[in-house]
Amino acid sequence: MWAYFKFEFFQFIRNKKNIAIYVILLYFACYYALKIVPTYNPIEKVDVSEIEARYLPRAEFLKNVEIDKGTHYLTSYAVAIFSEWNEYDKARLDALKKHNMKEYAEATSKWYKYSDEMIFPDVMNVFYYNPGYYTYGNNYAKKDGHYAYLYSASRYKGYTEGKSNLSINVFEERTALQTLQRLLDSYLPLILIVSCILFTVDIVLKDRRNPTLLQGLPLSDWRKLIIKGLVSLLGSLIAIIPLSIGLLIIGGRNGFGAFDLPVPIYSFGKDLFSNILMWDYLVQNMLFIVFWFLFIISLLLLVSVLLKNEFVNLLVGSMFVIAEFIYFERGLGAVRNIQWYPTSYVQVGQVISGYRNYLYGSEALTFGSGLTVMGLCTCIFLFFTFLISNQKKFKLL
Amino acid sequence: MIELKNIGVQFSGRDILKDVSVMFNAGEIVGLVAPNGTGKSTLMNVIMNYINPISGKVILNDELEYTNKKNEVKMHQLVSMMPDQSDLYNQISGKEHLKIYSSMWNSNPKLIDSTIQELGMESYINKNTGTYSLGMRQRLCFAMQVVSDTQVMLMDEVMNGLDPTHVELISQILVKKKSEGKTVIVASHLLENLEKYADRIFFMKNGELILVNAISPGFEEREITTVRISEMTDSIKGEISKEFPETKVRSLPNGATLLDVRGYDSGELGNIVEFLKENQITEFSFGKVTLNDLYSMYYQEV
Amino acid sequence: MWKILKTFFVIEKSNKKNIFSCLFVAVFVFSLIFFLKNMDIGNSIKEKSDEYQSISTALGKFQNIDATDSGNGSDLYKNLVRQQQAVSKQKMALKMNLPKVFLDTAIDLANLRAKAFDMEGFDDVAIYLPSKIDNQLDSVFYQYIKKIGMPLSIDSLSYFQFLPYLFGVLGSFWFIFMSIYSCGIMIEEFQHTSLIKGYPITFDKYVLAKCISSMLIVGVFLLELFVCSLPLIYFKGLGNPSYPIAIFNGIFEVYPIYQYIGISILYMICISIFTILLSIILNVLLKNMYLTLFLELLLYIFPMLFPNMISLVPFNPFNYLNFPNLLNGQMIEFAKPVVLTSTHGLIYIGMSITIMIVSVKLFLTTGRLKKV
Repeated sequence: MWAYFKFEFFQFIRNKKNIAIYVILLYFACYYALKIVPTYNPIEKVDVSEIEARYLPRAEFLKNVEIDKGTHYLTSYAVAIFSEWNEYDKARLDALKKHNMKEYAEATSKWYKYSDEMIFPDVMNVFYYNPGYYTYGNNYAKKDGHYAYLYSASRYKGYTEGKSNLSINVFEERTALQTLQRLLDSYLPLILIVSCILFTVDIVLKDRRNPTLLQGLPLSDWRKLIIKGLVSLLGSLIAIIPLSIGLLIIGGRNGFGAFDLPVPIYSFGKDLFSNILMWDYLVQNMLFIVFWFLFIISLLLLVSVLLKNEFVNLLVGSMFVIAEFIYFERGLGAVRNIQWYPTSYVQVGQVISGYRNYLYGSEALTFGSGLTVMGLCTCIFLFFTFLISNQKKFKLL
Repeated sequence: MIELKNIGVQFSGRDILKDVSVMFNAGEIVGLVAPNGTGKSTLMNVIMNYINPISGKVILNDELEYTNKKNEVKMHQLVSMMPDQSDLYNQISGKEHLKIYSSMWNSNPKLIDSTIQELGMESYINKNTGTYSLGMRQRLCFAMQVVSDTQVMLMDEVMNGLDPTHVELISQILVKKKSEGKTVIVASHLLENLEKYADRIFFMKNGELILVNAISPGFEEREITTVRISEMTDSIKGEISKEFPETKVRSLPNGATLLDVRGYDSGELGNIVEFLKENQITEFSFGKVTLNDLYSMYYQEV
Repeated sequence: MWKILKTFFVIEKSNKKNIFSCLFVAVFVFSLIFFLKNMDIGNSIKEKSDEYQSISTALGKFQNIDATDSGNGSDLYKNLVRQQQAVSKQKMALKMNLPKVFLDTAIDLANLRAKAFDMEGFDDVAIYLPSKIDNQLDSVFYQYIKKIGMPLSIDSLSYFQFLPYLFGVLGSFWFIFMSIYSCGIMIEEFQHTSLIKGYPITFDKYVLAKCISSMLIVGVFLLELFVCSLPLIYFKGLGNPSYPIAIFNGIFEVYPIYQYIGISILYMICISIFTILLSIILNVLLKNMYLTLFLELLLYIFPMLFPNMISLVPFNPFNYLNFPNLLNGQMIEFAKPVVLTSTHGLIYIGMSITIMIVSVKLFLTTGRLKKV
């Protein structure tokens, strides 16, 4: 067994295709770290001029306004809410002047919470979230703003309560670990899953090129398949190494951040965020991605023994990656049980952070349900692979 | 007919073929015999122009040479090499392979069915070749070349993996092809079989082609030239030399001993038989040198 | 030539890859229909409300002041207020089903926007408004509709309305799909070298035949696009094949749907030939189908990673492979605008094809094929 594992693994490592994948991943990691990260421009920035542009006119207004019977109701309303709003803005400005990050975090957290309370229920559209959300063609600007403000409120609250070193880079989520967190929320899981597909696509079928050499090995087909799957899993996990080089570059430039930074997690039922720690978030993601690897590997093993064609492996694998883009629709979770489709979990980071739930309007997409669905599917695929590979007539090659 | 002129091939500085010049005629079966790695396949690859020789040229029918791609096509129309079994398309049937070859060379489609019949492949010819055994694949490869019906046929290890019946069957087809005026060049290790039907046999050594006749004059003559004793002790050998001082005795690395009896009359031959019988030697034969012995003589020298 | 083609037919018809590719194309078409239905694309009322909101945000950047001509607001402010009015008018026109009003307002709106681009301070509000190119496309589209007097169609899922959308989406992926399809084209042949090497046919003819047989399968894919969309006729009606689509081809103009489809098909065929030849050459050079695939994809995204290269090397055929982007005019939105037109694209791709054919003819021979 062990000997076969080593044999397969060396083949895997020497495979030109696999080397190419590692090289390409390394290239993209560096490209991302060097070219894309510096252009990162978050909507929620630490920006004195932005705060002042809001704070000063309002302060002016509050100073000069006179309320009497004839005052327009909106004016009275503004007076009522601006004073508290401005308190927070002032506290933020003062904290920035004193370079007191802790105080800034505290005031900012309150500011976001209060702003959201004012803006979200506002049906007359007199208040807006940060204009960055209202780009042309964004039909859900208000919902995006709502999520982002609550997210920021929770995040800054976490900074206030936590013990980690704070800095502007941390506030704007520029440090290496936070960049990783943002990436997990976007393309990183997809890249890893696609790499896994490419690693696994030929692991069974490559042997067809020299069948006589391998047919006679004293191992059952099923065991061979399992070992191949393990090799592929190991290989997919190794893909993290070239990617982490990008992380080191970012860390060198913007700081690494800390493992006890807060990561806000959204829960749909309460429309609320709660924080978990960075390491917890990363571990959950890692575990989830491993489950995805297992899912993809078992799927491709099954397709390999069923259809015996590398091209088909590639097509079937990529269908599972792109399927969600086709049926995804905001609020779909209210109508359909999307939590039962394994493809709904393809955005691993977003599932864990609850953003997918927010988009789908569902509370069913959770870490636990994801692992259950993925695990179940993996078992089913493996079971069928087992049945097929143990058939009398079955030939692996 | 196909002529090789001063062909030289080197791989990493080592001479594989050295100034080889030879002519293969129409209506002839030529055998190539040599241990593995001495350049048989290289020679065939040169004839097919799969390998560029560093010197020399291949001339087909006194006019065609591999000077450009057009000529290469023309020559491939007339010269074919047997495909490797591992190169068959596993997902299509044997019959379709034959059809492909027939249409590629524009040969008479009737050949397909007749070849299937001659080689006894009816029972499996419509199955995918992925299901074939080694011998079935080998027969299919041979059949494909027969169907292509080219003037010159190159066959590398054609008898590999075949049982004696099929070896015989294929040999007969080769003889038939020869009678049709084709040039058949066969590399084979089945020496007895080759000896039976090949018109000329070449050994290869140190990058040269050597006609067997040149090593053993009279190899192709139809008379008794040799007494072959498969096993004999050294003391008896000594006695023979004493008893028949004029007879050349030759011991081979494969254990056999050859007595050169060229030009002996029946009386002299009788004396030899009598001597052998006296020494309790029972396994001997009269005839000529076998290819096996020549091979042993030539390649197994210590 | 015919004989080698016949050979390929025999081999290709037993190839699982073709069957699954056909299946994949069909699945793609059906998914796209499903996707369009989900996304509610073509629902003008919804789109107009969102547009209204965007303009409101843009106006939020200004103080509320007198927006009449004689008022003291900036030109841009006045312009935006009038845009907002126009959008509201369109929304109403849609609700009241007044296509003529909608059309006239659309043209007014496009004109207003065209003026706004040069006004002071536009950059601050640019993200809330359609880009210059989008606006120009809108402008030519509505003007054409008005000139011809054609009724506005709002059903994006009728047969002929769906097809350009399908070709537009598929067109962006076509090169990727073709590279996946063709990346192993010669590697498969390399498993059978001893057969192929001896064929009495030159390698370039062999390659040509391989291209033709692959192209026939590509033809099947294209045919499939039309056939799989046929059910839409039953559900949503046929639509109008001469309905205009605004495109950019050096200048802004409109193509009727059939012309757009024609250009798309022409492009797809050229891209297919291009990809197949490229795969053949890379297969022979690299002897590995995945390396071939990766290299092709890298070449494809190279102009996107380094946009400056586009203006530097405008004749790079890879600039043109995403032809729907070309026709959208998206290529001229870069910092350094380059006018890439679809005609140039066809010429450059065609030239690359010729160069590749010549190099196959000159440099590659069957005799050198090695087994992998």
